Amino acid sequence: MSKSRANQPEEFSRPLRRVLVLFVMLILGAVFFLWRIDSPRVEQFRATLVDKVVPSFGWAMIPVTGAMSMIDDFQSYARLYQQNQQLRDELQQMKAWKEAALQLEQKNARLLDLNKVRLDPRLTHVTGVVLADSGSPFRQSVLLNVGARDGIRDGWATMDGIGLVGRISGVGERSSRVILLTDSNSRVPVTVQPSGQRGILSGDNGQLPPLDFLEDADAIQPGDRVVTSGDGEVFPAGLLVGQVAKDADGRLRVILAADYQRLEFLRVLRSHEIAPITDAGALIAPDPLRELPTGMQGPLLPENFKPASGGGSNG
Amino acid sequence: MVERFLGPVAGHRALFVVLAVALFFVRLLPLHSSNSGWPGPDFLLCLVCCWTLRRPDYLPFWLIAAVIFLEDLLMMRPPGLWAVLVVGGAEFLRGRIAIARELNFGVEWLLVSLVMAAIFLLNRIVFTLTLLPQIPFETLVVHLLVTVLTYPLVVGTSILAFGLRKPAMGEVDSTGRRI
Repeated sequence: MSKSRANQPEEFSRPLRRVLVLFVMLILGAVFFLWRIDSPRVEQFRATLVDKVVPSFGWAMIPVTGAMSMIDDFQSYARLYQQNQQLRDELQQMKAWKEAALQLEQKNARLLDLNKVRLDPRLTHVTGVVLADSGSPFRQSVLLNVGARDGIRDGWATMDGIGLVGRISGVGERSSRVILLTDSNSRVPVTVQPSGQRGILSGDNGQLPPLDFLEDADAIQPGDRVVTSGDGEVFPAGLLVGQVAKDADGRLRVILAADYQRLEFLRVLRSHEIAPITDAGALIAPDPLRELPTGMQGPLLPENFKPASGGGSNG
Repeated sequence: MVERFLGPVAGHRALFVVLAVALFFVRLLPLHSSNSGWPGPDFLLCLVCCWTLRRPDYLPFWLIAAVIFLEDLLMMRPPGLWAVLVVGGAEFLRGRIAIARELNFGVEWLLVSLVMAAIFLLNRIVFTLTLLPQIPFETLVVHLLVTVLTYPLVVGTSILAFGLRKPAMGEVDSTGRRI
C-alpha cells in the first residue's frame, strides 16, 4: 500500500506510516482508558452522538416497520380460520372474566372507599416511542424519542402498559436510553408479593432474569407476583415486575410482565425525589431540647413536665 | 457505479463507508427487541479482513479506525477498545500480504480465523483486566464461530459484487504504479 501512496520513495513513507498507525492506536487506547476512568464524560459524548445520529434514521424506519407489519398481516391471513375459532373460544372465556372483573371492581371501589385510600397523585408519566434498539446478546437497551427536552432524568422507571421495562440511563437532548431489566448491568430491588420476601432482580442478558439475595427462597412459590420494593430509592414501590418461575436448576427467575417482544410505546414515570426518612422521628412537643447544664448527659425533660405518680426520681 | 465518478480507490472507500452505515442501520432497527440469545456474525470485521488482504490500498488504517470507533460508540461498546484491536489485526494482515498472495483460499481462511480469534481473546482479556462485566464464554465462542463461517460469504460477495480480487504479480494501476 505504501507503494501505491503518493510519489514519495518507499523508504521514506513506510516508517512514517508505521508511526502514524501507532499514534492512532495509542489515541484509541487512551480513549478506552479515559472511558474506564471517567466514564460519565465519555458517555455524555456518546449520548450526544447517538442523539444526532439515530433520530435521523426515523424516515427510513417507516417503510421497514410498514413492511414488517404487512408481513405479519399476511401471515395472519393464512391462518384466518384457526384464528377465528380461537377468538370465539377466547371471547367465551372473556365474558366470564368480564363478569368477574365487574364484581371485583365494585368490591374494590367499596373497599377503597372504606379505607379512604388516596393513590399517589404526583406519579405522572411521559410516553415515548422506541426509536432504535441496539440490543444484542451483549447489551439490552432501547432508545426512546424523549429526552432532556421533555424533562426526562436519569434513573426514572420505564414501563409499558403493564409492567416495568427498565430504567433511564443516559439522557440526550432529544433521546434517552433505557437499560432493560434483562441487561446484565440491571439490578432492581423487588418484593415477592404474598410472602413479602425482598430480593434483587439482576439481569443476565437472558429472557428470564434471576432473583438474587432472597432471605428464604423456600417461602416463594412459582407464580408469585414480583413488584418493586422501593428500596434504595431507585424506583417507586409497588410497580409490577412479573411472576416467579423456577427453572430446571431450581433457580428462581422472573417472567417479566412487560411485553418485551413488542416494545413500542414506553411510559417514563416521573418519580419525584422520594423524601427519605432520615431520623427516627422527633418528639411533638413545644420545646423538645434545652441546653444541657455542664456535667450532665442525655436529653432533659420539657419544663412543664409533670412526672407520673411514683416515677421521676431523677427527673 | 461510484467508481466511475471517484476512481477505483476513492470509490471503494466510499463503498466501504456506505456498507458500514447500512450495517449499523440494520442493527439499530427496532425489529429484534427480544434477542434469541444467539449472536449474529460480525460482518464488518469480515469485511475489513477480506478487503485488507485483497486490496490494502482500498482500506487505509485511518478509515478502519474511524468506522470501527463509530461502531463502538453506536453499539454501546467500550469506546476505542474494539477499534484498537481491529486496526491492529488489520495491520498484522497487511504485513503479510506478500505471503497471503500466494496462498490458496483455505490457508487464507485459517489465517483470518486466527487473527479474529486473537482479536476476540485480547478483547476478553482486556475486559477481565479492567473488571468490566463479561458476556458468557459460550456466547463469545458462538459469535467467533459464526463470524469465521461468514468470512467466505463476505469474500464471495466482495469478489462478485464489488469487483475485489487479488492483484496479479506486477500488475499496475491506472497511473502506472505497481500495486
